[in-house]
This record gives sequence, C-alpha cells and structure tokens, in this order.
Amino acid sequence: MSLVDLMSMATPNFGSREKILAKLCGREIVNCFQCIKCTSGCTALKLLELKPHEIMKLVNLGFVDELASSEIIWTCATCLKCVQRCPQKASPYHVIVALRNLAVEREAKVPEGYLKAVSQILETGLAEACRKIVTRKMEAVDREYLRLPEVSKPKESFQAVFMKAMEEKP
Amino acid sequence: MTKIGVYVCHCGLNIAGTVDVEKVTEYAQNLPNVTAARHYTYMCSEPGQRMIQDDIKAHKLDRIVIATCSPRMHEETFRRAVAEAGLNPYLVEIVNLREHVSWVHTHEPEKATEKAKDLVRMGVARACLLEPLEKRTVKVEKSVLVVGGGIAGIQTSLDLANACFKVYLVEKSPSIGGRMAQLDKTFPTLDCSACILTPKMVDVAKHPNITLLTNAEVTDVKGFVGNYEVSILQKPRYVDAKKCVGCELCTKVCPVKIPDKFNENLTQKRAVYIYSVHAVPKIAAIDPTHCLRLKTKKSSVCGKCQEACEAKAIAFEQQPETIQVKVGGVVIAVGSEVFDASRMAELGYGRFRNVISNIEFERMSDASGPTSGKIVSPSNGKTPRSIAFVQCVGSRDKRFHIYCCRVGCMVTLKQAILAREKILEDVKIYICYIDLRAFGKGYDEFYSRARDMDIDFIAGIPSEIYCSQNESLYFDVYDRGTNKLLEIHADLVVLATGLVPNSDLERISSLFHASRSADGFMLEAHPKLRPLESAVAGIFLAGACQGPKDIPDTVAQASGAAAKAIDMLSSGKIELEPLKAVVDKDLCSGCRICESICPFAAIEMKTDTGKDKEKSRAEVIEAVCQGCGLCSSACPTGAIKIQQFSNPQVLFQVQAAFEKAKPKGGK
Repeated sequence: MSLVDLMSMATPNFGSREKILAKLCGREIVNCFQCIKCTSGCTALKLLELKPHEIMKLVNLGFVDELASSEIIWTCATCLKCVQRCPQKASPYHVIVALRNLAVEREAKVPEGYLKAVSQILETGLAEACRKIVTRKMEAVDREYLRLPEVSKPKESFQAVFMKAMEEKP
Repeated sequence: MTKIGVYVCHCGLNIAGTVDVEKVTEYAQNLPNVTAARHYTYMCSEPGQRMIQDDIKAHKLDRIVIATCSPRMHEETFRRAVAEAGLNPYLVEIVNLREHVSWVHTHEPEKATEKAKDLVRMGVARACLLEPLEKRTVKVEKSVLVVGGGIAGIQTSLDLANACFKVYLVEKSPSIGGRMAQLDKTFPTLDCSACILTPKMVDVAKHPNITLLTNAEVTDVKGFVGNYEVSILQKPRYVDAKKCVGCELCTKVCPVKIPDKFNENLTQKRAVYIYSVHAVPKIAAIDPTHCLRLKTKKSSVCGKCQEACEAKAIAFEQQPETIQVKVGGVVIAVGSEVFDASRMAELGYGRFRNVISNIEFERMSDASGPTSGKIVSPSNGKTPRSIAFVQCVGSRDKRFHIYCCRVGCMVTLKQAILAREKILEDVKIYICYIDLRAFGKGYDEFYSRARDMDIDFIAGIPSEIYCSQNESLYFDVYDRGTNKLLEIHADLVVLATGLVPNSDLERISSLFHASRSADGFMLEAHPKLRPLESAVAGIFLAGACQGPKDIPDTVAQASGAAAKAIDMLSSGKIELEPLKAVVDKDLCSGCRICESICPFAAIEMKTDTGKDKEKSRAEVIEAVCQGCGLCSSACPTGAIKIQQFSNPQVLFQVQAAFEKAKPKGGK
C-alpha cells in the first residue's frame, strides 16, 4: 500500500472511491485545488465543524470508508454556497450527497431526522408536516382558521411507488 | 526511373519502442522504385543526415522518404540536408511515425508496425510524383508598425528605431505609457514606475526614426509579409499639436467634469484634459462626447478653453484623418485589461466602497494619484487600521478565466509592503491566498521581505465579504495553517484582480488575420519555440496581448519581437515557401468563390481583355498565399492547385493506402 493515514492506520479504498466518482459522473466535480473558499463560507462549519475542503481531499486520496461511516457528512445544510462560488466548478455538496448514498448502501447509521423525513413522506406525501403559524398578533393559527383547503392525502399507489424507488440501487 | 531512398528513424525509443523499425525498413526495401532503405537511432543527428547525403551521391537517389517525427519538427532540417547533397529540397517526403503512430498506439505494437508500413507505402507513392520547386524572394519594406504604446510597444519601437528601422507607433489614447504609467512602484526592486518609464516615453517622442501617432487606430491592413499597406485613423484631438505647450490653462476653465480613466475613475477630469502628469506627448485633448461645443455643434456654446488658450491651440474644426503607411512587419503590443471584479458578486466590489481593485490601490498609492500617495479607506478618507488582500479574483476560476494572472501575487506583496512602509506599525495587513507564486528572479526574496515586515499570510480565501453599517468590512476565512475559522475586520479590502484580454483584441486579431488562443489572448506560432510571432508571417507579438505578463517578461518579449522583426526584414528581401496556390488560367471561370473563401485575402480578380469579350480571372498574390488549400478544394472547375499537393499527388497516395484493402460487395 502506498499511502497510510498514520493517525488511524487507515488505507485508501480505491474501489469505493471509484464508486463515488461513478456517482458523480466523472472527476471534474472533485477537481479541487484546496483554496478553502467552500470551508470559509460553509453554513455548517461554525456549529457542526463540517469542512468541505477536507472531504474533497479525502475523497481524492481515497479515504472514503472513514467518511462514509462518519456523522459529519450528515451535517451539510445544503445551502449550496460551495457549489455557487467554487472557482474550480467542483462541488463539495454533490460529493457529500454521493457519500451519503454510499453510507445508506452500506447500511451505516443514518441520523434519526432523515429517517423521520422518510416516514413523513410515506405517510403524508410531504417532506414537512403541516404546522401552525404565528401571526403578527402572536396568535398560533392553523389552515382551518385561515380558511385554506385541507392538504390532500397522497394516492394509494404512492407508497408502493416511493418504496420501489427507494429500493432501486443505482 | 525514380530512385527513392527510405529512411526510418528510431527517435531514441520514441518510435522504436513501439514500431518494429527493422520490419518497416525491410518492407520499404521491397516497395517499387525504392533503391535504398535504412534505419538509424536519430535521423536528424549529424551522422543520420550524412547517411542520407552519402546515399544520394552513391545511389544517385532522386526522391527521399523519411519516416520520422512530425514535419513541423524537422522537415526544414531534412530539406537543408538534402539540398547540401545537391538534390532539390522539395523532393523530400516526411512520413510521421511518431505523432501519428508510436505515440498514439503505444499499447498495440503489432498494429502500429502495420500502420507504419501503410504510411511508408503511401509516402513512397507520393514521393514518385513530387516536383522540384524553387523558393521565391520578395523585396521588403524596412519599416515596422507597432500597435500599442505601452511598455511593450515603447521597448519594441526603441529597439527597432535604434537598429535604423522606420517605426510607426500607433496608440489609441492621447498619450503613450499604457498600464505601466498607472503603477506606483514596480516589483521586486520597488523602482518608481514613472522614473523608469518616463525617460523611455520621451526617447520615443524624440527619436528621429519613430513616427508617434497617438489618439489613433489601425483601421485596415492590406498586403503581405514585407509589404503591408496599413490605414491608420488619426482621430481629432481638437487641439493643434504644433501650438499646444501643455500649460493646462484650458483644463482649469472647462466647466464639464468627466471621470478620469487614467485614475481608474477615482477622480474627475475636464472635457479638455491632459492624459496624465507624465503624458507624452504633453498635448491637451478634448473629449468630443462631453465637450459642450462639440456635442451641440454650435459655435455660440461655451468655448471657454478657446478664450483661455494663449497659444491659440484649440481647434474645434479638426476632422478625422486617414494616414496610409507601408510597412514590412507589424508588432502587436496592445496589452491587456484588468478583470472587472463586480462580476464576482460575493466579494462586494462595486457594492461596498471600501472594496477596491489592485489597480485602484496602485493609483491611490501613486504620488500623482487621487490621494497624492496616501492610502485611505474610500468611504471616509481616513487611514485604514487594517487592510486585507484577497488573491485570485477572476483568475484561476473556471467561472471567469481559468489561467493564472501571473502578476496578482507579486502585486499584492508589493502593495502590502508599500502599505506597511506608508502607514508603519499602525496597520494590520492580511493576505488571503490560495497558492503564493513567486517564481521570477528575485521574487521569492521579495516574498521573504514581505514576511519580515509583519504581514500576515492566511492560507485560504473568503467566501463572501460583508459590510457593517459604518462601512467597515468583515469576512470569515478558514486558515489551512492553523485549522481555524478566522473573522477578519478590515477598513480596506484590496482584490487581486487578474489580467484579461484587451476588448480590442477581437477587432485587431481579425484585422491582421492572426488567431487567438482559447483564453482570448493572441496565439503564438509555437508555445515554446516561436513565442514572439503569430502564425501569420510578419506579424509579431509583444507583451500582455499574448498572455498575462509582468514588466520584466513584457520588456524581454518586446525586445525579442523587435529582434525577430529585424531578423526578417534587415536584408531587404525575404524567401517565401513555394507551397502556394497556382491558378490554371484556361480553366478558371471567374466565379470568385476562391476570392470569397480565402482567409488571407490572397486572391485578386484580374480582368483580361480577350478577343471577343472581357473575362475576369483569379490570380494568386504569391507572397500573401499561405498554401492552406481552401481555394483548391472550393474551386468548381479544378483550376486551382496547391503546389506539392496537386490532385494526382494526393490521389496516388490515397490509391496506395487502399492497395491492400479488398473491395466490398464480393464481386
């Protein structure tokens, strides 16, 4: 092996790296020269310590396994600033999504919030549940009060189609 | 009966590593008309060349086929070698076994050898029909047109003029000096830019061999290498150049204020103005789009400058004038422009007053600039307590320009040092960079000098710059060295804006038929071996129009381009390749398709007055024709042929290519 991370004794996994690259349809998206602009502006950095430039470099070097099993890839807030502003038109966001897919494939632990979102969609067809809103007068009101129509339930076949789509591996 | 010699080159292992050269030689030996076939490690070397020459004499060879690298590389070498042995140099056929075979088929040596055999067979077939040709000599003008009066144009003009060439220096603005005249100090020695440039500008104006045409533009170019006819539009200054003494009385009374381009629009000038303090020639000019009299075209309007001028130099009646000159060569030295940082919205340039570009900093730092050399925050005019520099703005960025601007790092180091020297300890200076490139002579020493001066280097660039209510700026930047997210507060942010192609370049490149590269700059004939010339004979390149460049590189290239022009024109005549289009007058129908299609404007229609009626026929201006072959393939009657690429020559080669192939259809 030509490369070893002496802190964790991890070695690159080029097979998984190829999988990530295949998901990204090519190499350009990880073609990063480490200008750190993505990390400087990352929404998830200050609280959650997400460093997109580190992820780009780790994927480039082949240290994919550690990333795929880590919790850090689930912290991205998908604000897409890194995609917009990257001078090399690389995309940490897309790399992170590819890593998440790899993690799911490997049945790694997925944060609860994501599982909740899935069951939410299965039940109601919506990513977010209908909530009450607070008006300027500080009253909490619901759709009925605002005389908005009820949100329709998804069609019966929806669940089956959704589950099928979820199970289809790329 | 032709006697052909075939020579297969190993090119070290470049060819022999893939192609079985011995088999190819053996195969060539048995081809029709081949008398001798040999192979050798380096055919282009002295012993290799001698091998060919000896064979020509011993076997009385009259055609030579050399299977070697690309003809772009060594065709000239072999032509010379053959000529020394007494054979016409155009009886040599090059077969490209390196770029066309070994380098592209590294993994399939057997197939490569077969392809090499096919190519050699085709080469031998074509060689049989080669005709001896003679080079033609053309007389040339010993004068040169230099387009652009920046440091590149100035240096080229002076070098050419000192070598006794007549020079026409055309500059678009009312003064020469260009970008360098706007700079304060120059890296890596911190020479004052004006101190080293102004004497050269004066030399240009005074030199007896230089005709200086400011406020002028090239509008048309005709002719060919050695004999260009150029039309130059002399735009009116509305000031009599012979009478004006540059006293600036007029500029004090003019009521119209307009942004001063020389000061990067940081200050205002009047509609009648002198371009800069160091302007050469120091003659006023009137901006016709803003002058009240010229705008309204009424003689009763304003005219205050006319009243104030003691020399009676104001001349509202001046008209544009076209000047015709004949020159042998042209040096394009139009320079570059600075990237417009407002296109990179996240950095706030154009929205926040305290975010400035590096060229604006340069004007601010210059003693003759808007703040008389004081460095201030534009919002309040106070000395900044903290300055941040952000690198690679608009360059190394796939959204704008992918190339490195080659000057940004050094400009920033210089400006940081200047800021430190001018404001002393009272200022914090941060440089946010991606990679710091200090590659030239004395440049890394300059970088070290900056580190000694307590300038902080942050390895990382900000994603966005924010502005607080008092117009001071702040941004987050993650530093690679400390692995910390830093928040930097700055009263002044300087963006290292890169160099971009001049907006005139599109017009100029099409005027001279010289092409541009993918990045928009002028394209050199060869990136390594011919960097000073365009692909069009007699058109040379100097300075930042060919690619971003600092002053040392620009001056070196300018002197080089001058030397190239001298090399081409000094003998008063030049030799031209005989590979040109030839028109068969009897076949030409005068349809003018060739005239419209020729990219070099090398075809003229001539009218013959024959017995019965007038007939117009195409004629090739031999010195202009580059032998590209477009006309030959477009000609509906087959009247135009390209020498050495005539129909029989090419068809015989094609026939040889398919000799082994079986016809389809099974008949």
